[in-house]
Amino acid sequence: MSNNSVNILDIKNIEVMYDNVILALHDVSLKVPKGKVVALLGANGAGKSTTLKAVSTMLASERGKVTKGSIDYDGNSIEKQNPSQMVGLGMVQVLEGRRCFGHLTVEENIISGAYSRKLSKGDIDQELEKIYTYFLRLKERRKSQAAFTSGGEQQMIAVARAMMAKPKMLLLDEPTMGLAPQLVAEIFNIVKELNQKEGVSILLAEQNTNIALKNSDYGYIIETGKVMLEGTAESLLNNDKVKELYLGISKKGRKNFRDVLKEESLNKKIN
Amino acid sequence: MANELLFFMEVLVGGLLAGTMYSLVALGFVLIFKASATFNFSQGAMVFFSVLAFCGFMQDFNIPFVLAFILAAFLMVVVGLCTERLVLRPLMNASEDTVLMATIGLGYVLEGLAQAAWGVEVRRLDLGIGDFPVPWIADNLKLFISALDITAGLVAAIMIIGLFLLFKYTKIGLGLRAVADDAGAASSIGIPLKHIMLLVWSAAGVVALVAGMMWGARAGVQFALVDLALKALPVLIIGGFSSIPGAIIGGLIIGAVEKILEVYIGPFFGGAIEGWAPYVLAIFFLLYRPEGLFGEKIIRRV
Repeated sequence: MSNNSVNILDIKNIEVMYDNVILALHDVSLKVPKGKVVALLGANGAGKSTTLKAVSTMLASERGKVTKGSIDYDGNSIEKQNPSQMVGLGMVQVLEGRRCFGHLTVEENIISGAYSRKLSKGDIDQELEKIYTYFLRLKERRKSQAAFTSGGEQQMIAVARAMMAKPKMLLLDEPTMGLAPQLVAEIFNIVKELNQKEGVSILLAEQNTNIALKNSDYGYIIETGKVMLEGTAESLLNNDKVKELYLGISKKGRKNFRDVLKEESLNKKIN
Repeated sequence: MANELLFFMEVLVGGLLAGTMYSLVALGFVLIFKASATFNFSQGAMVFFSVLAFCGFMQDFNIPFVLAFILAAFLMVVVGLCTERLVLRPLMNASEDTVLMATIGLGYVLEGLAQAAWGVEVRRLDLGIGDFPVPWIADNLKLFISALDITAGLVAAIMIIGLFLLFKYTKIGLGLRAVADDAGAASSIGIPLKHIMLLVWSAAGVVALVAGMMWGARAGVQFALVDLALKALPVLIIGGFSSIPGAIIGGLIIGAVEKILEVYIGPFFGGAIEGWAPYVLAIFFLLYRPEGLFGEKIIRRV
């Protein structure tokens, strides 16, 4: 059952615990409108990956649990789903660190993404050709063993593999981690292209604030498991605090959002 | 001189063929190791359980051979199903060590069930293939080679080719190889782990049944079959835990080496070195080539 609401993903006030004791997310709410790219920004350990795994239901395999709040995907709660059912519903996560199948060839890696779909050999070949139009580099290396490809190529394999599942929504977890600037740009171009041509909605977790916002429609900034700030990508890029804290355009030393809010409330009291 | 060479050939060929029987047992281990990265200690019990059930169907219920085989194979699929549901799924997030311990427990359960259901006495299993030299080969090549050994070799070859085709060219085979590389990533793209586990345990069960039939025909269907699985350990160390060709070649090497050592060096030790020689070989492999001949090296990009 799909619905016609504007948001493909609607997370309301979720709290996530690991092992029943470690509170990873306190209060995260976010929306991804259909066909848009939304960036989820924050430092290491802020809760970006946890949020994505809560959505893809992969938390369970890491002993994590959504203890409060709700997550609706395409108008339905995801509470009772498992990861392979989510893939069936068109929601695919590209895990942090690429996670290619090292002993499989590049092409086998990509084909494995179609596992959840019932496709004939001919259909698979057709889909492959379509995928290769976005990832030209991979076509050249189709017969190589994935473990021997470069970091950028592995990231492309991971995204291409996810695209083979014909997703309506992609969750990308730090796709540019450890990549050279040129490759970062290449990956983002591909993501943008997939979004525009295939109409895939995208939730993107990134530390690379600048380039992530430049390629997104909307952004959320989370810190220690809480959404601290949200807004259109443009407004965030021009926000002084974001500039200071995440874009490194600052005169003083590095701070986090909590410090800024404290300062503000102090200033208010003084005034 | 010619006679000595002929004798050596006979020992070698006999050893290689006997080795295929080790390969068959080792194959079951490799299947499960590939999918769950665990050494399945219950493999020996699975061999015993499956072949005892097969004998039970045939001898106690007078079910014909082919039907009894199908029933026993089906029973092993049920065992695989129960293992997935009752043992593996609850332990899904547990460490590999925990799963390893669980397989030891599973082994005891299977041994107990088998004996409770079919009794404890040694059963004779007659496959209609004698454990005698084939006259034709004896006459023409002057080699004395057992018909059972030749059959085991052929059966092993067929199973290996079948499994190779399954892994390389089918969808579920691709799924299995993906799970073997990275189970988390496999589940993130919608490969259902439980189907893969079920497939692997069922396949390992059927392989155990075939191995058990071959061994049972030679040595009788008895509790000692459980320990036979231990012989697979040096086979796997030499061949590599995650490699199907490795299991085959490891089995052949163990089979040939233990026979040759037994015949030529055995007398200096007072005989019966067959029992421990493979383990000595395995120790050398552990020291100098721990991933085995064909084991997948951990690939690191530099």
